[in-house]
Amino acid sequence: MKLWDIIKSANSNLLRNKGRTFLTILAIFIGSFTIILTSGIRTGVNDYIDVQLNSVGGEGYIEIMPKAMTEIMSSQMSLGSSSGPQEYNPDKNSLEMTAISDSDLKKLRNIDGIESVKPSQQISAEYIVSSKNKTKFVVTPQALPSDRINLDIATGRLIDINGDRPEINILPGYAEALGFGSDEGAVGQTVRIGVVETATMKTREVEATVAGVMNKSIINMGRSWVNVALEGKILDVMYTNLPDSYRDRVYFATAEWDTSLGDEGLKRIKDDMEKLGYVGMTFEDQVGMFKTFLDAIILVFTIFGGVALLAASIGIINTLFMAVQERTREIGLSKAMGLGRGKIFLMFSVEAIALGFWGSALGIGMAYLARAIVNPIASDTFLKDLPGFNLLQFDLKWLAGLVLLVMMIAFLAGTLPARRAAKKDPIEALRYE
Amino acid sequence: MKKSKQPRGKAAPSQAVPSRTSGIQPVIIATKNLTKIYGKKSAEFKALNGINLEIRRGESVAIIGKSGSGKSTLMHCLALLDAPTKGEIFIGSHLATKLKKRRVNRLRNKNFGFVFQQFFMNARDSVLSNVELPLKIAGIRHRERKRRAMEALRIVELEEKAKSRANDLSGGQKQRVCIARAIVNNPSVIFADEPTGNLDSVTGARVEDLLFQMNKEKGITLIIVTHDEDLAARCSRQIHIKDGKILSETASTVKGGSK
Ligand SMILES: Nc1ncnc2c1ncn2[C@@H]1O[C@H](COP(=O)(O)OP(=O)(O)O)[C@@H](O)[C@H]1O
Ligand SMILES: [Mg+2]
Repeated sequence: MKLWDIIKSANSNLLRNKGRTFLTILAIFIGSFTIILTSGIRTGVNDYIDVQLNSVGGEGYIEIMPKAMTEIMSSQMSLGSSSGPQEYNPDKNSLEMTAISDSDLKKLRNIDGIESVKPSQQISAEYIVSSKNKTKFVVTPQALPSDRINLDIATGRLIDINGDRPEINILPGYAEALGFGSDEGAVGQTVRIGVVETATMKTREVEATVAGVMNKSIINMGRSWVNVALEGKILDVMYTNLPDSYRDRVYFATAEWDTSLGDEGLKRIKDDMEKLGYVGMTFEDQVGMFKTFLDAIILVFTIFGGVALLAASIGIINTLFMAVQERTREIGLSKAMGLGRGKIFLMFSVEAIALGFWGSALGIGMAYLARAIVNPIASDTFLKDLPGFNLLQFDLKWLAGLVLLVMMIAFLAGTLPARRAAKKDPIEALRYE
Repeated sequence: MKKSKQPRGKAAPSQAVPSRTSGIQPVIIATKNLTKIYGKKSAEFKALNGINLEIRRGESVAIIGKSGSGKSTLMHCLALLDAPTKGEIFIGSHLATKLKKRRVNRLRNKNFGFVFQQFFMNARDSVLSNVELPLKIAGIRHRERKRRAMEALRIVELEEKAKSRANDLSGGQKQRVCIARAIVNNPSVIFADEPTGNLDSVTGARVEDLLFQMNKEKGITLIIVTHDEDLAARCSRQIHIKDGKILSETASTVKGGSK
């Protein structure tokens, strides 16, 4: 019997019992569809992050935090359950432990490959307003630690980090809201930023020039970037009437490193920081943490899909056992007419494989349909602020691999009934009523 | 049968060249002390008990006996569908147990045709695809398959039913389709197990006529299992079976003659 004839008759045999075949294919479809969708989301998110990293991310820039700080953060995340009471360290109080001292800043600067270290203060503001209209809008300013960070500037230019004039890069939408009409209209204009004096709770305003307008991206996380001059003015207000030691306390720093040292150099730099009691994190590291988190969620859904596929393969076994039972006489007849065991095994295996193929093909078809429906909706709603973010993205090679895998699983499930069919004794089978 | 045309080994030299004039044809199937035992030890049952026979090419042989006498079992052994417990079966000059599985499958596919009392058709498939089945198994291509199946249907005069569902035919028509299926591969032997058992005498006669027509025109050897004395009488030879043993053998003078 020719392979093509076997494939054709497998498919027509499946059509003999449409209801049963449909249900089995449905089970395979559910498993495949779940896996395809979760992987589609993962690809979509990763693609977006990669594009963002290329347009927004920064090379040669690293954030530095005291190790104690990251430990506190992680112990809070694990609900403090990990360890018992810790002994108090009389050498360093808790503020000293989480702050970066002057001497440490010097040591950090002396690390081989580090070009500069800039201590950073947390700045905060109440609102931003222009003279065009009186409406105040919430704003989250942050000092741009390094001009090695690529901000995705849509209109105007990047702030002059070390320039004398206080400057700000605003997020899209602000230009219009502040009454400048368009992004172009906002460039070069003056805005005022309301800042609260920590000691007195009084709000005062500082002036800044809009250097440019950024594109939205997840990596901005809603921040408006300001230069050193503006940062200084904001800090002046925040720390009015407070002792200088407050203002000089540094909780994190950013550093620029020599990228010609490559990944190995970066690793060595991080190790050196570790020895000093600091953790260094690049943009990629931060994104990597997010990706790890995402992967964990994806894994859960993939396992769910896998379990569904497992259940589906039991369905395949069941369906084929029924088919073997129903076609006992046909099998006997074919054997009497000289059809070999191997071919009969192949016939039922091909039926199993066909079930796997149609189930996963249906999964792909529906996944593409889902993409056509979901992506526009997502882009118009919860991803509205993230242009270029396509929630579902499929990789053709990966999909082909999945179909092959599902066909393989189906084949393995089919071996049991196929073996029973192949072993049937033609005499017994023909006697069977 | 290809093999029987060039017998080797133990086959008698006189049979190497079949002589039409003398009417002696080569032995194509032979058994020696053929025994089939069902069950074990205390529950042992001898369905066949030391059967010795020879069937020559072109013969029409009736295996006749009461129900349960072992006729079907014997036919299954001769067709290599079943393996005997003891004894030997020769196909041409070859010992059947020495043949490889593949070879046996090919033999059944290309040289044997089967007709059963219960027809055994794939009820939901078309008549044509039922007739095509042995060709499909042989791996013959679609076009050729269809051509030969239509040819076989023409012989049994059921061409116009080619597209009908097998289940929609009458019993007599079904059995004629089965004959078409049995001859579609141009076999050298047709095994028929109670071919008229489920048919009334008129349709039964038509089926018998067809079988003997194949015997006469194509020289196909017939091995017919029956308990119908009249059908047996139309065969050139009758082997009477009782309790798994050959009771007697008779020969008819008129081969394939009408009743
Ligand atoms: N698989 C089997 N197991 C046990 N006994 C069997 C089996 N097949 C046939 N027999 C017995 O062997 C005897 C011969 O059967 P069979 O050749 O079918 O008879 P028939 O002459 O009616 O065709 C019967 O008594 C039957 O019960
Ligand atoms: Mg019988």
